[in-house]
Amino acid sequence: MRAMKMKNTISQTRLFLLPMVAVTLTATAYAAAPGITGPTFNLTAQTAYITQPDGASVYSWGYGCNGTPAGYAPAAITATFCNAMQVPGPTLIVTEGQTVTVNLLNGLPAAAGNTSILFPGFNVATTGGVAGLLTQEAVPAGTVSYTFTAPSPGTRAYYSGTQGDLQVEMGLYGAVIVLPKTIPSNCTAGLAAANLAVEAHWGESDFRLASAAYGHARSCYDREYLFQFSEMDPDIHSQALAQVRATTGCVAGAAGCSLEVATEPYHPAYFMINGRSMPDDMDSNYSILYPHQPYNGNPHMHPGEQVLLRIVGQGRWQHPFHEHANHVRILGRDGNLILSQNDPNSLAGPLLFTTTTTPGQAMDGIFYFTGRGLNWDMYAHKPTSTDPNAKLPCVPDANGYNTGPAAYTAINYYEWCQDHNKPLQVAPFGDVSSNGPVTLPDSHILTNGAWFGGSPYLGPNATVRAVGPTGITPPSGTIANPPSSEAGFAFMWHSHNEREITTGNAFPGGMLMMMLVDSREFVIDESN
Amino acid sequence: MANRKVGTRLFLVVLVSVAATSASAQSFRVQCPTSTITHPAALHNNDAEPAYTGATTLAAGAAGYLAPTANVNGAIKCQQISGGDGYATMGDGTQTYMFSFGPLSGLADIANGQPGTEFPGVFNTVYAGGTPLLPGDPATTDGTIFPLPFTYNGAVGLDYDRDIGPTIIDGHVDARPIMDIGVMNGNIPAPLMAIDEDDEFFLTLSNVGMIMRPDLFEQHTIHFHGYPNASAFYDGVPDASVAINIGGSFTYYYLAPDAGTYFWHCHITPPEHLQMGMVGQLYVRPRQNRVPVGNGLYAALQAQQNDLRTACNSGADILCSNPLPATSNSVGRAPVGGYAYNDGDGSTYYDVEYPLQIHGFDPNFHFVGMTFNPEGFADMKDKYFLLNGRSYPDTVTPGALQTQSADGVKHFAQPLPSIINIPKGGKALLRISDLDVTEYQTLASLGIPMNVIAINAKLLRDQAGINLNYNTNSITLAGGESIDVILDASDTTKYPSGSVFYLYTPNLDHLSNDAENFGGLMTEVHIN
Repeated sequence: MRAMKMKNTISQTRLFLLPMVAVTLTATAYAAAPGITGPTFNLTAQTAYITQPDGASVYSWGYGCNGTPAGYAPAAITATFCNAMQVPGPTLIVTEGQTVTVNLLNGLPAAAGNTSILFPGFNVATTGGVAGLLTQEAVPAGTVSYTFTAPSPGTRAYYSGTQGDLQVEMGLYGAVIVLPKTIPSNCTAGLAAANLAVEAHWGESDFRLASAAYGHARSCYDREYLFQFSEMDPDIHSQALAQVRATTGCVAGAAGCSLEVATEPYHPAYFMINGRSMPDDMDSNYSILYPHQPYNGNPHMHPGEQVLLRIVGQGRWQHPFHEHANHVRILGRDGNLILSQNDPNSLAGPLLFTTTTTPGQAMDGIFYFTGRGLNWDMYAHKPTSTDPNAKLPCVPDANGYNTGPAAYTAINYYEWCQDHNKPLQVAPFGDVSSNGPVTLPDSHILTNGAWFGGSPYLGPNATVRAVGPTGITPPSGTIANPPSSEAGFAFMWHSHNEREITTGNAFPGGMLMMMLVDSREFVIDESN
Repeated sequence: MANRKVGTRLFLVVLVSVAATSASAQSFRVQCPTSTITHPAALHNNDAEPAYTGATTLAAGAAGYLAPTANVNGAIKCQQISGGDGYATMGDGTQTYMFSFGPLSGLADIANGQPGTEFPGVFNTVYAGGTPLLPGDPATTDGTIFPLPFTYNGAVGLDYDRDIGPTIIDGHVDARPIMDIGVMNGNIPAPLMAIDEDDEFFLTLSNVGMIMRPDLFEQHTIHFHGYPNASAFYDGVPDASVAINIGGSFTYYYLAPDAGTYFWHCHITPPEHLQMGMVGQLYVRPRQNRVPVGNGLYAALQAQQNDLRTACNSGADILCSNPLPATSNSVGRAPVGGYAYNDGDGSTYYDVEYPLQIHGFDPNFHFVGMTFNPEGFADMKDKYFLLNGRSYPDTVTPGALQTQSADGVKHFAQPLPSIINIPKGGKALLRISDLDVTEYQTLASLGIPMNVIAINAKLLRDQAGINLNYNTNSITLAGGESIDVILDASDTTKYPSGSVFYLYTPNLDHLSNDAENFGGLMTEVHIN
């Protein structure tokens, strides 16, 4: 029976979760789109328990590495591992034109029967195994091999092709990323090169797998994230566990050596991004807390960076993934770039603020945040201040942004110059400009959020000038996005089927993560 | 109860700064300046929308920022809403408890199915009726005084700030009318908002508390869903910003984003507050509406390229959706009607527009939400399927629906009909949004095809300027999505005067009102 939380219990859960997040999040940032490289991948399907933030330890099946993988990517992330079981399975990173081989060993309990992998969008040749409904399958303790040539760049899903209602639910899914063979020249020149130079100035590494999503001049990007959406009904998992225990030691294929798990009616209670529920998803990649859930969902970015989102639907439901703060330009779906019928140089994918995930479907999209059109200076510049960072210039490029070489070392690189120096507040306290349009309420009648940067403004310099190092207090300081060190703009990225931002009936949880736009003072380090 | 006298404050209406010497807690107030940097009263009448004849002329002033010097576009718009609770009547007659927003400005307009968004000259009007505003107004007054309907559209509670002067209007309010009108006055959908591109929008949320749930101390916020390049501060996510406590007001400030159909909702505990009814509609009208009649639309869109804020250069900005059409078709601004987007070719023309919001209520959740009982999220199941807060047949009832709430007073809880009246030979724009929190909803047109012109507040046009609008007879949305559809009845043979068509859901189990297998997500389209 599912727990029905009293309202005050929910509140306590809320209070409990937030400090927990703070402990693991403070002033660090981890994300990117990590995975393993090939072109030969030795995978196993195994059982293990994955953890959920309500304390549940859920019996699951997942793909993992059978031995040490050929390599890990991106290179800037070094604290890596690939255990024999993980959810989602290892992200397989290959390059367009490569011949890819995936060798699968079925390490599931004998009663679970055969297993397999489907690679939709690829022309797959199989070796070994036994014939299944959709592809060749590996019998318990047996193997099967799949070979294909990566035909075009983009993100795609892979998942079990055997009794999918159970095996995918149990966790047998993952993603394939195909990198373009040829990178368009503009993706390493101009603004793309400038962004790299700025990263280098601030000591940031390049965490990309490539600099273009497709071999197309409008698919350049500066940062990337992979999000896989799935859900779990814990009743199915406990049925599977009970039956596996009851059949321990049975011989594959023998009478009674099988599972009869009811997969309907379906009542998922866990809604996950990359196999984790909020707030666990905002812990680091390869955190030792999650030996079987190595991938996170904790995006950070600087203003102006073109951010590639690789979004994959797993499981069996659709989820309306809502990106706060801007739209996403869909580049392509399942590795199919969407171009104008009249002009192959032009994109034709839709612009969405809610990117619905569909089981088995992957999409690639570009997101950015610049603050254009706010009509106030988000850096709270003030020409009469004595702080040099309050008096930085903004020299607009052809598109209105502060991107010239003189800005490479400035904290307002990529500022939207039309609003430069323009005040927000009528008569603010602190060292920020006055005579703007609004008066903020007394902080005593506000409640601060855990990710509130402490002021309306972006970055520690502006926030400390506006309200001091602790942000607006009382009632409470902020903890996950400190005013004195980060003070980013935090945005919630979440399923807009809002009941899915719960974990086991408690809010908050589920398919929810905070995306942070950080000023340049904050070094985004995705390396650990 | 909030104090009537709130002490010395900062005031902005006439941009007179009075030194703030007090940090005592303030309670309710509204903000609606009559002049700002962007809309200086000296250059411009802020109580009307000027014609759009070209980009605003900007020049750097002494304070170091760009300010308009000529050709000011847009105006100032203000709105006040309450955050609290209320009751609505479902299609089967059941009175349902809601957490909800209600109007605290534009009361007469809202009761007439119009937005409660007002120019400063209307908003900043102190109520001068012979009797005080009554609980339940405008329903109370309209129900007892005949033939004089309620006409007041100003900010409820606005009063002269007699500490400053006998007729000074500076946002000071008398809390009593705010409580009298705001308590138990929730609407579904929440008050309609509509602004024009280039407007500054001052949106004040006054939290009057939920009188039926004295155990809760809920804050509320406003999330402007889809606002591009949003600031975290005004994004309304309590985790990432501030939330307003009971007894306080918070004024959200936006420069109107690109034209489109957006929507808004509370972002506190979204699975709960959205399910309970804190969802509303919001759209932005395009500059193109303000082009003088007969002037070329293509040329007007070209003029928008002269301001980098309003320009769309697909080569430099991957997130802009309305580049110039591939070819100019010389269409001029029509003498009547409007446009949904800055299309430059007239392709989004309409004669009449209807906001239509899809939502679902789970009566069990609402019941336990009223009775202090524990709420479960995982098994939430909607049983009422709403178009503008109503189920068929209430959808086709003209005028505001009233519900007697627990205070014994009737309230216009469902002010917005969803019947579509199209003039013979005309086109209707349906601004469809969905804030269901549990499942996807499909809306089909039985008769007139749906021409989908935009998704998620973005014109369907590729980067090469080719329109990608398409005909269909059904659209499917998740919570958190919007779609613009034009019903084109210009063929008067097929769609003669007097004919009736239907918008209904082919999710046939949603054509029900809880236990009645009749009703649900359906309305009628009448050709007049």
